Amino acid sequence: MAGQEDPVQQEIHQDWANREYIEVITSSIKKTANFLNSFDMSCRSRLATINEKLTALERRIEYIQTRVTKGETLT
Amino acid sequence: MPLVTRNIEPRHLCRQTLPSVRSELECMTNITLANVIRQLGSLSKYAEDIFGELFTQANTFASRVSSLAERVDRLQVKVTQLDPKEEEVSLQGINTRKAFRSSTVQDQKLFDRNSLPIPVLETYNTCDTPPPLNNLTPYRDDGKEALKFYTDPSYFFDLWKEKMLQDTKDIMKEKRKHRKEKKDNPNRGNVNPRKIKTRKEEWEKMKMGQEFVESKEKPSRYPPTLVYQNGSIGSVENVDAGNYPPPPQSDSISPPSPSFSEDNLPPPPAEFSYPADGNQRGAGVAGLKRSSVVSPSHPPPAPPLGSAPGPKPGFAPPPAPPPPPPMINTPPPPPPGGFGSPATPPPPSPPSFPPHPDFAAPPPPPPPPAVDYSTLPPPPLSQPTGGAPPPPPPPPPPGPPPPPFSGADGQLAAPPPPLSDTTKPKSSLPPVSDARSDLLSAIRQGFQLRRVEEQREQEKRDVVGNDVATILSRRIAVEYSDSEDDSSEFDEDEWSD
Repeated sequence: MAGQEDPVQQEIHQDWANREYIEVITSSIKKTANFLNSFDMSCRSRLATINEKLTALERRIEYIQTRVTKGETLT
Repeated sequence: MPLVTRNIEPRHLCRQTLPSVRSELECMTNITLANVIRQLGSLSKYAEDIFGELFTQANTFASRVSSLAERVDRLQVKVTQLDPKEEEVSLQGINTRKAFRSSTVQDQKLFDRNSLPIPVLETYNTCDTPPPLNNLTPYRDDGKEALKFYTDPSYFFDLWKEKMLQDTKDIMKEKRKHRKEKKDNPNRGNVNPRKIKTRKEEWEKMKMGQEFVESKEKPSRYPPTLVYQNGSIGSVENVDAGNYPPPPQSDSISPPSPSFSEDNLPPPPAEFSYPADGNQRGAGVAGLKRSSVVSPSHPPPAPPLGSAPGPKPGFAPPPAPPPPPPMINTPPPPPPGGFGSPATPPPPSPPSFPPHPDFAAPPPPPPPPAVDYSTLPPPPLSQPTGGAPPPPPPPPPPGPPPPPFSGADGQLAAPPPPLSDTTKPKSSLPPVSDARSDLLSAIRQGFQLRRVEEQREQEKRDVVGNDVATILSRRIAVEYSDSEDDSSEFDEDEWSD
């Protein structure tokens, strides 16, 4: 009896091991994909805040420049 | 349904039919591992795409930061050089200096095809393209692109633009009316004083709760919103949908022309017997007979001359009776022959004119109303000799066929060909002396005027800015300047008293 089942059992054992291996790989792929998505989102939000600050700074500097520069009287 | 930006392929690892192998489990494992490798490949591609986008954005910000840092440095230097004693402080200087206006750059075309992320663009490109309907565009009379009738991505923008321009025109017209009224009644005084605005109404409205406030804003205010009882927000723009004029339809010009041509068809054959009678008494009776015979036979000749376009075979028989008998056979053959079937028209034309058999082709005596028959005599002369008239008529097919029609038929055929070829030069048509000709020339000029006006309007619109921002700003400026002008005029009246 053991002799009959050994090769089949071995095969099934091997198959289960392979499946676990594949499962580990696929779950890490999903984790990587999730990480990429969240990284993308957080990066975009931070870049957007930087953009806002930059535009505010640019406007302030433009105002200060016009206040400081003399000789800009128009008609 | 939102589209997935990045889809990792292949989606399913082991949903495949197995090849017939001995060890199926091993086969499955290998197939699955191979698909895992493919998935890793697409994942790395998308990761590279993500990081690329973030990198470009960060780069732009880095350049902006560096330029800002330069400006700050320069400003710092300048400020330290400032001397408060040197500063000129004059009242005139304060008033005459231009007020500071910051350059507000409005972001436009945010959701354009250019700003689409690349993976989504690739997804779009896997779809089928629309059919190549633009190949039919050269055959259209109104100059619109044929694909626009199937799918038009700019349809809604054009709709909105038309509505906005119409609204600005309406507002300006109202302004003018108001100004006229005020000018007409300068001594009218304050008949309609402004309502004293109190907050009481607003507080009353808000008594029951903010949700139940039904804003009674003007539908012309932009954008109009309604807060319904159940809290959902609707828009009032549908109200103006009915007022919106449909996109410019030059189709309105083309439908009248076929009906016009058909209307003209029945009367002239009956009337044309008179000039023929006036000129040739001998043939007058025959002419009358022919006119009476031709009208019932008018429809049947159309099929044999089916190679020619619609109006032409329809007009071939009416030209037959009015001119003197020798001319009858010769005008119809040149036009159909001009359309590429030289051998066939002469045989069909004799059977289509059973009452006029055996007409030789002597030199054609010119009929009274026709004028430019100078072009006709050579082709008809070559006609009976050659029997195949392709060379003279085909080169300018629309040109000479209208002249023979007009020459043979008076002005009957003149209107439909010029109306169908609106852009053809009018100089090719003969100057007319008929009573109907004045009406026809007036109509022609009218059509021409309309077309030119349309072109001018279109050019005007294309030259001016085509963005949402400019159109909106123009409209709002007109609307608010309207109220400001009214109030300022009201103030001037006060002072004038």
